[in-house]
Amino acid sequence: MQIKVNGQTIEIFAGARVKDVLRKYSLAEWTLVRKKEKKVGDQYGHEVGLDGELNGGEELVIKACAPAESRS
Amino acid sequence: MKRTLPAGPVLRLLLFALLGVFVLQSCASVPSATSATTRSSLTTESSAMTRPALPAESHIVIFHSNDVHGKIDNFAKVAAIIDAERKSGADVFFFSAGDNFTGDPVIDRYDPPGEPMIELLERLRVDVVSVGNHEFDYGLERVRKLAARLPVVSANIEPLPGAFPELRPWVVLKTKGGIKLVVFGVIQIEPGNGLPSTHPDKVKGLRFSEPLAKALELKKLRAEGQVFVGLTHIGYDQDHILAKQMPELDLIIGGHSHTRVDPAEIVNGVLVAQAGGDNQFLGRIDLRLEDGRIVEKKGRLIDLSKVSDEDAAFKALIAKFHDNPAMARVIAKAPVEITGKNALGSLMTDAICKGYGLDIAFQNNGGIRLNRLPQAISLHDVYTLDPFGNQVVQIDMTPDEIRSLIRNSCEKRHEIDLQVSGMSYTVREDAAQQIQDIELLRPDGSPLPENRNYKVGMSSYIASSYRFAHKDAGRSLGITTAEALIRYLESGPDLSPYRDVRRAHYQKVTGSSRD
Repeated sequence: MQIKVNGQTIEIFAGARVKDVLRKYSLAEWTLVRKKEKKVGDQYGHEVGLDGELNGGEELVIKACAPAESRS
Repeated sequence: MKRTLPAGPVLRLLLFALLGVFVLQSCASVPSATSATTRSSLTTESSAMTRPALPAESHIVIFHSNDVHGKIDNFAKVAAIIDAERKSGADVFFFSAGDNFTGDPVIDRYDPPGEPMIELLERLRVDVVSVGNHEFDYGLERVRKLAARLPVVSANIEPLPGAFPELRPWVVLKTKGGIKLVVFGVIQIEPGNGLPSTHPDKVKGLRFSEPLAKALELKKLRAEGQVFVGLTHIGYDQDHILAKQMPELDLIIGGHSHTRVDPAEIVNGVLVAQAGGDNQFLGRIDLRLEDGRIVEKKGRLIDLSKVSDEDAAFKALIAKFHDNPAMARVIAKAPVEITGKNALGSLMTDAICKGYGLDIAFQNNGGIRLNRLPQAISLHDVYTLDPFGNQVVQIDMTPDEIRSLIRNSCEKRHEIDLQVSGMSYTVREDAAQQIQDIELLRPDGSPLPENRNYKVGMSSYIASSYRFAHKDAGRSLGITTAEALIRYLESGPDLSPYRDVRRAHYQKVTGSSRD
């Protein structure tokens, strides 16, 4: 299935979760998300969990956490 | 002169009239084969002539969770929150939007599986549960047990006769003042096989229809209550589409995508809510009605990490559940301890290969978190060996694509990283640390035939983190690598070959070897 991450189309196995798509997109970005320096949202601006399940055609957006979020 | 009709025709007329009313009401409210099992009493309650006066003002609170995945700890806080609201006198409901099962080995491996989750939901007095794809991970019988004890809904699951009689497409709930909430469920299906995301063996005996199309067929239920709710497990993007296509709904409370919708969003007049996942948040929706009409609806999330009140009885029960004796259960006995990455990785990949009809399987060394398994292997040992919850992914690959995977695995440390089943391989590297050759051999030592594709299994971590060529995107088999190992060990395999096994070799062209 195809998922867009920050506008880039990622081809990944059917049944992939958010964390799988992030790793496939960029291991560096994945590391920042794991460290809570960045977070992942959907195309509507809502934050999604790393174990969230996906349907083909969805879009994810990686963005920086606010300083307070990074500390938590 | 007063005419009297003969008794026969009068009785026939009455019978026809009653039959007509029955047929009309049935068509208007209850679909398909499962109608007999619905909790609703729509056929007797839908007449406007008999409808009691609705309260001038009502306040309904709906708490909701989704994708709890066995994370039970915060239920002591959830219980305290819901209990306090119930004591306030408001009309309080608690809805679950699916995927309560799977994600915590202690709960997954309870005897019977998932029992703590069912008991806690019972004690929380959950009003309705929508079926999620992971509800099937323990098998259909456990979902039936869940549905026998709790009101479970899903309209697009179409069981073969007798396969799932406890399932209801929807329920009708009532407030103290007589306000009716009509709540239907729908579950996601994968476009490829038309099944929910679980192992296909787990949903034998069930058929599934497309969730949005099924939901749209239920528009007529709008007339049967004052609050019309889709309790879905299809992911937030699909909820969005549903809201655009079905403005008859008042609320969509969803799950599957673990989306934190805070505050709940109004889409085409429909309030769409979802409460993240893993029991980190509790959703709360407030509805205000006047004369049975919604005049205000809003939703927000309660961050449970910031809640201090806990229900003491729930806390004690949760502690009891965590002390699961089943985790110490011995599932296999080996003639000797199984030690080292080569042996443990061979065992783990054999479990994937042999358990699911695959040709070849890989396991990365980083995912092998023990150095040895004892002779008496317990469930706890398996989850310590493989704690990540990675899925088994199947990708159909050519030999050159397999070489591409192996090459990528060796590039970082110039040593063996991937353990293997179904073949062996040798990587040869020159003095400049450039890989010159990757030889693939069948288990009997002959060359792996080049002119065909192989069904290759690997963890979702390898499938997503390693950079290798593959035309087939692959698919999750709906089972974790740890579950595959447990199933293999429980099948009673001969564990003596794992005493001394090495299937992957790394050679320098100078002749030295670093396995």
